[in-house]
Amino acid sequence: MTKFIIILLTAVFINNYVLTRFLGICPFLGVSKKLGQATGMSLAVIFVMLMATAATWPIQTYLLNPNGLGYLQTIVFILVIAALVQFVEIVLKRYIPSLHKALGVYLPLITTNCAVLGVTILNIDEGYTFAEAMVNSLGSGLGFFLAMVMFSGVRSCLEGADIPKSFKGLPITLIAASITSLSFLGFSGVIENLFA
Amino acid sequence: MKKTFSEIIKPVLVLTLICAVVTFALAYVNSVTAPIIAKSQEEEAQKARAEVLKDGDTFTKIDVDNLPQTVTEVYRAENGAGYVFMLTAKGYGGDMKLICGINSSGEIEECKTLSHNETSGLGSKTAEDPYCSQYSGKTADTLNQVDAITGATISSNAYKNAVTDALEAYKTVKEAE
Amino acid sequence: MTKGQNFLKGIIKENPVLVLVLGTCPTLATSTSVSSALGMGAAATVVLLCSNMVISALRRVIPDKVRIPCYIVLIAGFVTMVQMLVKAFAPALDQSLGIYLPLIVVNCIILGRAEMFANKNKVVDSAIDALGMGAGFTLALLLMATIREVFGNGTWMGIEIPVLVDNNISIMTMAPGGFFVFGCLIALVNKLSGGKNAKKSFGCAGCPSAELCQKAQQYKEEM
Repeated sequence: MTKFIIILLTAVFINNYVLTRFLGICPFLGVSKKLGQATGMSLAVIFVMLMATAATWPIQTYLLNPNGLGYLQTIVFILVIAALVQFVEIVLKRYIPSLHKALGVYLPLITTNCAVLGVTILNIDEGYTFAEAMVNSLGSGLGFFLAMVMFSGVRSCLEGADIPKSFKGLPITLIAASITSLSFLGFSGVIENLFA
Repeated sequence: MKKTFSEIIKPVLVLTLICAVVTFALAYVNSVTAPIIAKSQEEEAQKARAEVLKDGDTFTKIDVDNLPQTVTEVYRAENGAGYVFMLTAKGYGGDMKLICGINSSGEIEECKTLSHNETSGLGSKTAEDPYCSQYSGKTADTLNQVDAITGATISSNAYKNAVTDALEAYKTVKEAE
Repeated sequence: MTKGQNFLKGIIKENPVLVLVLGTCPTLATSTSVSSALGMGAAATVVLLCSNMVISALRRVIPDKVRIPCYIVLIAGFVTMVQMLVKAFAPALDQSLGIYLPLIVVNCIILGRAEMFANKNKVVDSAIDALGMGAGFTLALLLMATIREVFGNGTWMGIEIPVLVDNNISIMTMAPGGFFVFGCLIALVNKLSGGKNAKKSFGCAGCPSAELCQKAQQYKEEM
């Protein structure tokens, strides 16, 4: 049990996908202007990360590895993720229209989101079991959510600030991201020793 | 009829064809590179083992029960020079992978860091020489003489605990054989 | 546009990293040291060159409907090949790039160039475009990595620099330093171009899902 908690907390705080691993920067900078958008996007990411791991982990372990096809990993994973996103969109549209209304527009964006492909590949690289991989995906998704929500708060404060002309727009957003990620550095070393 | 072809059959056909061609190309590249990768990885590992246990000639992997969790693999030098332990410790920024050679009299010959994610300038110093070389010649009794790095207590402790585990594993292995 | 202009536009006027702001993930992640930045630049350039040429050659064959899946399969194929070759012949580089090597698949620069250039232009032009963009990407990475390694580690390509090596600002090689240096560089580009290129928001033009992204924003604003 402790192991799961460590994996979860590590994924959320220490190895935060956006702020320390630089995965999923596009949506982080692009869709974090408003809290509503940030929440919608992150929920969609958590959802797809869990689905993608549930699909890719068995494929790698039971289909690719026993047949010596491990090298097809990248190509198979990206296709599975792309197909999955399409499938989820169709299912949601048909059966849960309210959820589709909330998440639908974000789903296609996730296909080429490196955080999703990154989490599925890292789960294999780290040698996690299926349960650990799912926990890691959940943690990574939650970490993405946390970073997005925090950052949208930071950005809304920036709107009224008086910024030098050259720094307006993207540069100041990046500097703000730098300071936000600085705050996450404080977490390293905490979790592994929490249960020691 | 013509419309069905260009609207449905052609896209599917082209996509399938591209997938097939790419897969075959990958299989070919893999068949060429796989042996080279395996060979270079094996050489790399062999080199690392020979570096921490200079008198060892060939190393074989042995399976031992009841090892501490940090010890991932144990190799025995066939000429009886000692054992090499592969260690994975939880450092400040994640896993630290270490390799540690212990000679036949129970002395550490050398410890090396294979990979780490420690803070550069602080914890990263555990991978460098004034710190690493302290371990050479230490035994289970004298290990406490190793000085930690100022400002990197967690990294230093993780390193030291891993080496302590290696010494413990050494004892277990000796008893088992 | 002459061939020379085609090549140069990738380096200066349409620099994929500093002006178009594409491929931010690898830029931030692999610019911690000059050697890994060069490795990343080279790997991405090779993939870009191969994918641009093949996609351009097949531009009349691939139906519009399935073009994105086709591009992704081709790009993923080239990435895997590069990955295997790097593993076989430059294992140290494989170690330092880690997860970011397979993630070249989702680098927006590559899919972006396929969408914006290769599927409308001849093979030779696409190859030149790829080389220019690849060079622009590599140079931008090199610039960032130089700043981060020199100040963060006191070294350049592993060569120690006197004074700085004893007074390194190690935060520069960590995550916050990456965002900070990138932000300052883009501000500098804005200043030098007199605000002409100033990005009001995040540059999505080359991203294949740009259209959807904007739709998503409008959609939310309407609600």
